Amino acid sequence: MAEQAQGSSVGRAGTAGGRRSDIRSVLLGAGLAVVVLAVAPFVLDTYTVNILIRALLLAALALTVDILWGYTGILTFGQSAFFGIGAYACALIFTHAGFGAGWALAALAIGVLSAMAVGALVGWLAFYHGASPLYASIVTLALPIVLTQVVFAGGRFTGSSSGLSGFPTYYWSIEIWFWIAGGFLVLVTGLAWLFVRSDMGRVLIAIRENETRCAYLGIPVPRIKILLMAAAGGIGSIAGFGYAAFTNVVAPELTGFLLGTELLIWVALGGRGTLIGPVIGAMGIDLTSSYLSGSLPFYWKLLVGIAFVAVIVALPQGLMPIVTNLWRRLFAGSRRGRETITLAGVSSRSARERADRPLVVHGVERHFGSLNVLQGIDFEANEGELLSLVGPNGAGKTTLIRCLADGFERSGGEVTIFGQALGRWPPDRCVALGIGRKFQAANVFATLTVAECLRVARYRLERPSPWAREMVLRLPEAALRIVEETGLAAALDTEARHLSHGQKQALELAMVLALEPRIVLLDEPTAGLTRVERERIGSILTSLTERERLSILLVEHDLDFVREISSRVIVLHQGKIVLDGSVQEVIESDLVREIYAGSAQPGEEGPA
Amino acid sequence: MKARYIASWASAVAVATALTMGSAAVAEDDTIKIGVPVGLSGANSVVAPSVVQAGELAVAEINEAGGLLGRKLELVVADDGSGAQGAQKAFDSLVFQKEVDVLISMETSAARNAGLPIVNRGKVPFIYTSFYEGRSCSPWLYVNAWVPEQQVAPIVDHFMGKLGSKTFFLVGSDYAFGRGMLEFTRSYIADNGGEVLGEEYLPMDGTDWTAIISKLKSANPDALITSTAGGAPNVTLTKQLRAAGIDIPYGNLAVDEGTARNMGADAAGIYISASYITGIDSAENQGFLKAMAAHFGDELKTPNDLSVPQYEGVYLYKLAVEKAGTTDSQAVIDALDEVAFMGPRGRIQMNKQRHAPLTMYLGQVTAEGGVDVIASFKDVDPGEQCPNL
Amino acid sequence: MGVLLLDIVTTAAILFAVATGLMIILGVMKLINFAHGAFLTIGGYAAFVATALGWNPWLAIPFAALVGFLLGLVVELAIVRPLYTRPLDAILATWGLGIIIGQLITIGFGREVQFVQTPMTGAIDFLGQSYSTYRLVLIPLSAVIGIALTSLLYFTRFGLNARAVIMNEDLARGLGIDSTAVRLLTFGLGAALATMAGALITPLISVDPNLGLPWLVNSFMLVLVSGVSIPGLMMASLILGGAQVVVSTYVSPILGGLTIVVLAAFILRIRPRGLFGG
Repeated sequence: MAEQAQGSSVGRAGTAGGRRSDIRSVLLGAGLAVVVLAVAPFVLDTYTVNILIRALLLAALALTVDILWGYTGILTFGQSAFFGIGAYACALIFTHAGFGAGWALAALAIGVLSAMAVGALVGWLAFYHGASPLYASIVTLALPIVLTQVVFAGGRFTGSSSGLSGFPTYYWSIEIWFWIAGGFLVLVTGLAWLFVRSDMGRVLIAIRENETRCAYLGIPVPRIKILLMAAAGGIGSIAGFGYAAFTNVVAPELTGFLLGTELLIWVALGGRGTLIGPVIGAMGIDLTSSYLSGSLPFYWKLLVGIAFVAVIVALPQGLMPIVTNLWRRLFAGSRRGRETITLAGVSSRSARERADRPLVVHGVERHFGSLNVLQGIDFEANEGELLSLVGPNGAGKTTLIRCLADGFERSGGEVTIFGQALGRWPPDRCVALGIGRKFQAANVFATLTVAECLRVARYRLERPSPWAREMVLRLPEAALRIVEETGLAAALDTEARHLSHGQKQALELAMVLALEPRIVLLDEPTAGLTRVERERIGSILTSLTERERLSILLVEHDLDFVREISSRVIVLHQGKIVLDGSVQEVIESDLVREIYAGSAQPGEEGPA
Repeated sequence: MKARYIASWASAVAVATALTMGSAAVAEDDTIKIGVPVGLSGANSVVAPSVVQAGELAVAEINEAGGLLGRKLELVVADDGSGAQGAQKAFDSLVFQKEVDVLISMETSAARNAGLPIVNRGKVPFIYTSFYEGRSCSPWLYVNAWVPEQQVAPIVDHFMGKLGSKTFFLVGSDYAFGRGMLEFTRSYIADNGGEVLGEEYLPMDGTDWTAIISKLKSANPDALITSTAGGAPNVTLTKQLRAAGIDIPYGNLAVDEGTARNMGADAAGIYISASYITGIDSAENQGFLKAMAAHFGDELKTPNDLSVPQYEGVYLYKLAVEKAGTTDSQAVIDALDEVAFMGPRGRIQMNKQRHAPLTMYLGQVTAEGGVDVIASFKDVDPGEQCPNL
Repeated sequence: MGVLLLDIVTTAAILFAVATGLMIILGVMKLINFAHGAFLTIGGYAAFVATALGWNPWLAIPFAALVGFLLGLVVELAIVRPLYTRPLDAILATWGLGIIIGQLITIGFGREVQFVQTPMTGAIDFLGQSYSTYRLVLIPLSAVIGIALTSLLYFTRFGLNARAVIMNEDLARGLGIDSTAVRLLTFGLGAALATMAGALITPLISVDPNLGLPWLVNSFMLVLVSGVSIPGLMMASLILGGAQVVVSTYVSPILGGLTIVVLAAFILRIRPRGLFGG
């Protein structure tokens, strides 16, 4: 991919491009934490250190919950299962197989690998194109329930309800265990920090904000979630391994669903999506309960329950943001230290002349129960063509667009993209064929900045780094033009939710064009835009077809707009194509006039 | 960005500092501390108050009589949440923070197992006062309650002898105690020429016994013996058995006097086997019950098979310390199997591989919720529990 | 064979009765009520209080429903209403509510098992089998719940409004239906159904602060598999409950206890909208 550095008009002078990561600040923070950790065992009494070792390990587990739930939006009840797997791997191997450095490494490896395998299996079950987030939660709920039962049924081997204890382990001094647990937590927190603040971390937030948009940007959401689940499982398993090795005890409750829900409580109270909040939440609550629950066991749980509900209802972001806001108000003025993003152009993949037509639609049908929304749709689209789909409300235009970009949508027929039959491909694979789809309502990632939204859209072409941020945003010329002409270039670090309606529409269009698609599906891209904005978009679209030979399929109500820019028009009515011809033919057609007058084929009702 | 991130780390440091200040050193004093990790919350919270009371009475009596080695006894209670995680905190707190001299307590098996490594590390004598599935061994552990070898025989002997039962059906919860008890029951029945027609388990939190009851009915045994988890599974099984009209002899290895009373009419006729029943007719028991009533008045929790061993455990520790002349852990451990205490349950001496021969009582729940003592079996041996100790 | 059949049908009847409250709330409000287990528990304790006051045990059932209805209204106003647009948070908040209810019951009544007077006990001969009378009675009782709920949804103004909200809430609001009121009443109704079910099953279970928990997950699974419809829930209870009984009888009761959860997870993977959903 040849890059052509383009003197961008927006990049502030003096800003070097390249990648940037938080590694220095993370090292600084980790150093600070290490100092605290190094001193703590000598300042604190043995009891507190003991409690803290366990709390540190549980905090690492809570961190994985935060990555999954706080950042990616996967509400998981099952993270305790992975903790349990690691703990039981340690206990079972030390009890039944043997003890020593070799066995310890083997047990750790077995624990991590089995946890990752289970995580992947759960991921495969829970995450697929079209899965509901509720279903994923239910599967993560079932996991610890099933696993606990397996432990119970294990008899002497797993120790059943009594658990296993007294197996040989390393009887290191309590300080050493404290440093191991603390070091592990600092390491995991530091890596997690780099990860969530990297470009890949932005993709996680994008998935949380709008999974559908992600899929249509060619991001393999299920695969990312499965990998994340497996990785979180692996980390949870290491924490569990440490827990068992230190305490010398495993019990079924370590794998249980109650621990899974406690983790959520800690993360929610601390502040989801903040990493540090959950760590403090986990350690704080675990430690406080160690001191308080002895004297008032039932009231303590009641208080935690009330605090949890109150936070979920009134402070969904938890307590951490309050602390950070206060800090900011007291010590720092700026909201977010600004990093200057430089825009750069990149030449689109060469418009190779391909033998096959971009789009061939043959016999496509769509039924909802007994309702036929589309029947027998046949048409082709050519390179350099701007094809408008028109028709009254309910004619099936949007349904047809859906069938072109998601293999699961149609009930019959076939769609062929550059000679490749679509089959049952999910949207992210359709994107790989060269399809880009813009939704009817503006569909952007509300809490990401404009630059981040565009970066996420480049996922498929420029794999985001999992630990750093790219300072140069490379966009194909068409996307760059939109960004520069609609004022988005000056708002690169504005969160998308603060944009005007027109800017959101423009941003989404820019995101779609950032995919460097060969076929662009646009569902009313000009709805709600001002006349000026509309004309600008129109000229961009025509230049895309003329200069870059893209095929554009446009669903549009505004017939004037259609007339101005279309090279061909298809008229849909009651799920069928009634006319496919030039703008002139459509304008002159009596049939079309009748349809829009609502008088065609009286007595029949169009699909709702 | 930087501000936010510094704020995060700063708050972490602040929390750590706050924690440091919260843990003030425990003042040194002259009392002998008895740690009682017990399930104030969780499954054992039903019985825990009675256990604490029994311990409190023993401590009060000993202190009134002049204390131990001239020092006062003090009970330090910690909640173990009836589970492993809570037990670790409770044991940590008692052993390392409160620095108790001995641990005497009734706990779930998971909690006991979770506490043992801490006991081993802290080198504190631990008298376990709950009946359990057996074979828990540690150089620091003594047990003064029953194990399957002691509890099962009275019921099975009575069923096979007096009632002429030949065939049995066993039902339990799938956990260590349930499986351990029924495993022993099965082999004991076989050794005595009986036959086990079926042995079925439900998950520990399972409450739907439908399929098992149907199997039981079609097997048509002479007698039924159950060993479920305490509380809900036990109650649901009994209710559903009664609802299904099953009226063969029914021995329940997991029900205590108090629970039987709570179950009302459904419990009537159930056979139980225990080392303590409030109706034991001995001077020690009558004196104990009177003292409990006098000490706690309206607050009294009915003494039971889990709380009385706690009372006796405190006395056994007192006798061992007196014999050793010191509270030194190793000396107390060496003395513990040499002392005997005449308590409400009779003479208790933990001299059989760290376990105690016990007099067992066979009782039957009456329609009014009382327990009739049908037979007693003197000094039943706990069998091979810890041959290496 | 006869016993197996009776086991299946009575198990299905119990599961159906326990899950309806959850289903009606999910259907209308698109919200999973994680406090469902706690509501069942409250039903059990309502029955306990009623019989402790010396009332007829049958009276405990409508009493429990009334308690649940009132409680449901309060909970909807205080906790559920602010979370309409955050369904996953609603799961968490209702789970937290479940913790609070459990602890309040523990503080108020203690953790021990409560003794509740049962309306009937023992077994009768039915189809040549001696079978638990109360379990048999639960079959018509569950049928009555199903029929009453269907009538409510299809023959009353509230039902019409509720169904409109189920199908398309925005449209329903556009047509002048007060969807806020529909939601409020639905949550009350769902809570009432849950507490009533709790009271209904007390003769077979133990009344303690954790009464409802074991039923919670199975209820979800049934409701999701049912595709959120009353006949669907009946079929799901029969099929999954039947599978549970068959596995318990012929394989192992331990696996039986996991049958509904595991089977439902795989069914939903293949048919995300449930066995009977569109």
